[in-house]
Amino acid sequence: MNTTVFTLTLRQFAGQRRSLLMFGLALIPVALAIIYRLGEHADQHEETANFLADVVVTAILPLVCLILGTSALGSEIEDGTAVYILAKPVPRRDIIAAKFAASVLIAAAFVVPATAVSGLIGLQGVSEEGIVTGFVIATLIGVFAYSAVFILLSVATSRALLIGLAYVFIWEGLITELFSGTRYLSIRQYCLGIADLVTTVSRQDFEANLGGVEGLVLATVVVAAALVLAVRRLEGFELTGTD
Amino acid sequence: MKTASQAQPAGSPSPAVRIEAVNVSRWYGNVVAVNDVSFSLGPGITGLLGPNGAGKTTILHMMAGFLRPSKGEVRIAARPAWQNHAMYRAVGLVPEREAIYPFLTGYQFVLLNAKLYGLSDPAGATRRAIRAVDMEAAQDRRLGGYSKGMKQRLKVAAAIVHDPQILLLDEPFNGTDPAQRLQMMDHLRRMADEGRTIVFSSHILDEVERLAQSVLVIVAGRLVASGDFHAIRRLMTDRPHTFTVHSSDNRGLAVALVADESVIGVELDDEHLTVRTSQFADFTHAAPRIAKAERITLQELLPTDESLERVFSYLVKR
Repeated sequence: MNTTVFTLTLRQFAGQRRSLLMFGLALIPVALAIIYRLGEHADQHEETANFLADVVVTAILPLVCLILGTSALGSEIEDGTAVYILAKPVPRRDIIAAKFAASVLIAAAFVVPATAVSGLIGLQGVSEEGIVTGFVIATLIGVFAYSAVFILLSVATSRALLIGLAYVFIWEGLITELFSGTRYLSIRQYCLGIADLVTTVSRQDFEANLGGVEGLVLATVVVAAALVLAVRRLEGFELTGTD
Repeated sequence: MKTASQAQPAGSPSPAVRIEAVNVSRWYGNVVAVNDVSFSLGPGITGLLGPNGAGKTTILHMMAGFLRPSKGEVRIAARPAWQNHAMYRAVGLVPEREAIYPFLTGYQFVLLNAKLYGLSDPAGATRRAIRAVDMEAAQDRRLGGYSKGMKQRLKVAAAIVHDPQILLLDEPFNGTDPAQRLQMMDHLRRMADEGRTIVFSSHILDEVERLAQSVLVIVAGRLVASGDFHAIRRLMTDRPHTFTVHSSDNRGLAVALVADESVIGVELDDEHLTVRTSQFADFTHAAPRIAKAERITLQELLPTDESLERVFSYLVKR
């Protein structure tokens, strides 16, 4: 990994208004958990687990990773500044590794605490039945998988954000729910499978269509494949000019 | 294609500073951006000259390894430029696009580049490069607040921070004021004198005339002329030109001018005189002299077809 590119990417994230947006996104589950605690609840374990699955894993996790992953390199490609890191004797795998590491670090810094805090609020401060632990591990693995896929998208297409949104809300949100065979191509299902493996909630509406081990293996394969493809795409990156 | 002389300078320069294009074409779908271009460049300054949209940036990007030729090959230091990332140790690139990281200061930006080149003393190299473009006073300001000309100079500093043997610049003088331009030109001349190969693109004839020793003229994706700039310039100026003339006695001046050997035709209408000449320089000297001899006041002598596009289209027809 190239530490200069890594540091530059962290500064890019820190200097952008989108970091405020991500902070707002991370606050949403915490705020919802506080509102949830104001009411009466029959089974707070099941409801908290469902809440983490439906809000954090389904929406907040992919959105934060989408914003960071597609902008880590995509915004530089779009505005032309990518040439300053690409016209250098730096192996492309080192550039992708630095972009990936920076995206994962920042996404995890927003999503993982949001998961833990909102889970603990829902459970009144006590992580029982492995719920908080399970979802923290699941979202962390989700951060790796989503970030790798969205970085690949940003190198492969100028419409990465649009395609990423379609993947999250149409593919994972609709198609995977309708056709169970597509679960092998859903990072959300990998995360739910991993959370399901760790937690011991008796009735689980969030229960995944995939086993936890399967989810872990598939997430690992997705990360590796996406990063290898991203390096290949960057090796063949072409700069379009105006003349 | 017009070849005024060899594009490559005399002698046999080290392959480390040679840029070669061999039957290079590049197309986007059905659009041909560059069509069967070949050249060989050595140390010195070469201007890549052509009107907007001619294909200059496409050629420069292929030299810089950022575009794969659809046909043929571009070689830098005897190796293909495409996917040759190691070549950037010896190559500096100044892109045309203005965007640079707005949150970095000028110093941080050049230092970033020095580190990415893997230099052993990035801070020292950064100071030298910033001094070379005379930007020390503004080096601690954020790039977001720089003028276009200041950004151009910082981009040049970033491209020369590793002391490259080959420097590629895409429209480097855009947005610079005359003093900045002169200063930057002086620096490029010094680099060329040290045996480096410098290629810059421009659509402004005057810039190329002042800086380039040799030239590649690109029109509609084709290389229409290459070689010594002054010989190409003569080809451009020794073509038929048309002047519009206003004087105190257009009829009398027409009679006097038509006798001069530089004039190949005159047309007279109610308001002005149109003169066609085959010798641009001779005519511009002769016209005032003839008018004075005939005691006619010359009010205006205006070339009517001096656009670069017309000059280039003439070269294409030749």
